[in-house]
Amino acid sequence: MEGRFNDGKTSRPQVVQVWLEAEVLVFHVGDERRWPLEAVRIEQVDDRVRIGLDKGDDPARLSLAAADWIALTGSAWRHHQRQRRRLVGLVAGLTATAAMIAGLVFIGIPAASGPLARHTPPELERKIGENFEGQLGLGFRACAGKPGQAALAALGHRLGEGTGTPFDIRVRAVHAPMVNAFALPGGAIIITDQLINLAKTPDELSAVIAHETSHVQKRHVMQAVWRAFGFGVLLDAAVGGGTGAGQQLILLMGSASNLRYSRQAEADADAGGQALLTAQGLSSEGMAPFFRRMAEKSDGKEAQRVRELISDHPDTLRRADASVARAKPGATAFTPAEWTAIKATCNDGYDPLKRVRRLF
Amino acid sequence: MSDASLTAAGGEGPIVLSQRGLLKSFAWLSLRNGLLNLITLTLYRFWGKTEVRRRLWATTYLNDEAFEYSGRGVELFVGFLLALLVLVLPFLCIIFGTQFLGPVIAPLLVLPLYVFILFILGVGRFTAFRYLATRTSWRGIRFHMRGQARGFGLAWLGYALLSAITLGWFWPAADRRLAGRLWGGLSFGDKDFDFDIDAARRERVYGAYVLAWILGAIAYIVFVGVIVAAMYPDIKAASEGGRPPAPNTVHVMVVTYSMLAVFTPFWVIALAPFHAAMLRSIVAGIGFQGVRLHARVKWYEYAGSNLTNVIFLAVSLGLLMPFVEARSRKFVIRRLEAEGGFDLDAIGQATGLRPRTGEGIADAFGLATI
Repeated sequence: MEGRFNDGKTSRPQVVQVWLEAEVLVFHVGDERRWPLEAVRIEQVDDRVRIGLDKGDDPARLSLAAADWIALTGSAWRHHQRQRRRLVGLVAGLTATAAMIAGLVFIGIPAASGPLARHTPPELERKIGENFEGQLGLGFRACAGKPGQAALAALGHRLGEGTGTPFDIRVRAVHAPMVNAFALPGGAIIITDQLINLAKTPDELSAVIAHETSHVQKRHVMQAVWRAFGFGVLLDAAVGGGTGAGQQLILLMGSASNLRYSRQAEADADAGGQALLTAQGLSSEGMAPFFRRMAEKSDGKEAQRVRELISDHPDTLRRADASVARAKPGATAFTPAEWTAIKATCNDGYDPLKRVRRLF
Repeated sequence: MSDASLTAAGGEGPIVLSQRGLLKSFAWLSLRNGLLNLITLTLYRFWGKTEVRRRLWATTYLNDEAFEYSGRGVELFVGFLLALLVLVLPFLCIIFGTQFLGPVIAPLLVLPLYVFILFILGVGRFTAFRYLATRTSWRGIRFHMRGQARGFGLAWLGYALLSAITLGWFWPAADRRLAGRLWGGLSFGDKDFDFDIDAARRERVYGAYVLAWILGAIAYIVFVGVIVAAMYPDIKAASEGGRPPAPNTVHVMVVTYSMLAVFTPFWVIALAPFHAAMLRSIVAGIGFQGVRLHARVKWYEYAGSNLTNVIFLAVSLGLLMPFVEARSRKFVIRRLEAEGGFDLDAIGQATGLRPRTGEGIADAFGLATI
């Protein structure tokens, strides 16, 4: 058979005669070349076959018409079969690795986040919290009413004392265009002015503060930090930050797993918060009415259930029902004077959305 | 077969560059790669990308011989892991570590880090180009790169900062100079490519860039304005103490995606004159042993090609990327012309730096081409 040979030294092709001797390709280019069929790699290029040595870095290439190659070897399929075996082995190995990564994402990292959070030195968590607070301070201005802030802070201290937490619970009201409250690493608890407006009774507000205190006690925020770090590293390693549909699907899986654990933490903090109030002799009956009011302000029941799937919080009405069962009567957390001061603490004339409103 | 467009009166007669083979085969390859990516949590992508390149190179002909891509999936995989270990993981650890440093010291550490990342992106772009060159051969003769990745990284960093300071107005000049560094540093065996910046400059790009910049700025403002307007009822309700805002509601998502559907074609068309001009400019600068190239690319052809590519990608959720790459390559190769001649039998093999791993840095930062 006639073939074209490029020796890998110059681009000038040489015409060579090729034959097969006991599963070895033989041709002459000054000297005799012997390429065992088992040692070559073939690539079909249009109607020709490009042949090179599989191992090593030899750039020499032999080119034959595809029909000649099949006639010569009669067993081109063997090489395809070898390549297919390699592919199957590769995909099996990669799939097994992928299964291990999925296991880590769904089980390993969430399971490790609890012990990691518990073993994180409190001093370290405090520093993380300080940084968070510094960043939040840029967006959310603290409310100016000092008596109200003092009453909120006092309840935080009182609830924190019974928890055995190494952190000083520091409750603070801020201006923000949302109904929200959140705990930061290291014991800071932020309550927005919108949430204070929404709370109708001292029991409702104290339930929210107790819920956040429970997050601090159980170190949920630190768990979330470790989970986010683990997911970030692992998923980045797996998908490489790409934007394809497959990569997005995997990121979505990680996110869903994270949300599942966040919802569990919220449910734990509901129960934990009510227990803290009861331990201090305070009423824990304010949680349910507050959740119900939140639900009323939000969408209908069905929309709530759907939203729960893509939320880091459980369904609000479900939380309300669960908290009714656990609720116990007790003293009110704030005196009437304190309650009046709290309700007025953010009435300092500051409007975070003033600039946005001006645009319209 | 897309027809010959590269003709030159060399000693061996006309030089022909062409793209053969059916695009349909790339559609099947796209589906196979997509499926394997899904079941392997995208770990297969390194081998998938290698297979796409191998087929792309094998369907691109210079005269009677197809190019060959000899890269391996495992090289890309190892390159990616190395970049992850040496760059991405330390970067994430530093970012994580800054959380412990407090609000004053953290930015002092993070800002220089981002400048360093810009430099590393440039290094990644160069090493990715070098990897592709060293894995490309024709008649057994390999391409390779001269020059240092560090120098390219510094140039990239400087040009990126200059472009930022000038609100993007330096970018066309930067883009051309960076392309010049890459193509001008390329060698085919023992023969060097060159990049004639004056020839590149003769193909004007700034008129098209002015158009793209102004239309782009207007479109961006309108885009952001519509999104904010769509969210305004929620913001207003929240500010009046009503229902809590839900920034991720279906409503806002629908508005965002509808806007993207309207604006993406607009972007593609607005940018097409500039992209086509830049392609013409860069190709005009590329020379090889006296042979000079020209790209006969009209902006409306470029816009049409890109628009259909965007549709393919949007409909397939990105799955048809290999198919789109094959289409794009065919589009460009059909429009290349050459002046001058060269004896293609007279190229000798040369030794150049041949990296063992793939474009890890570029891939880790989502910069790898093809």
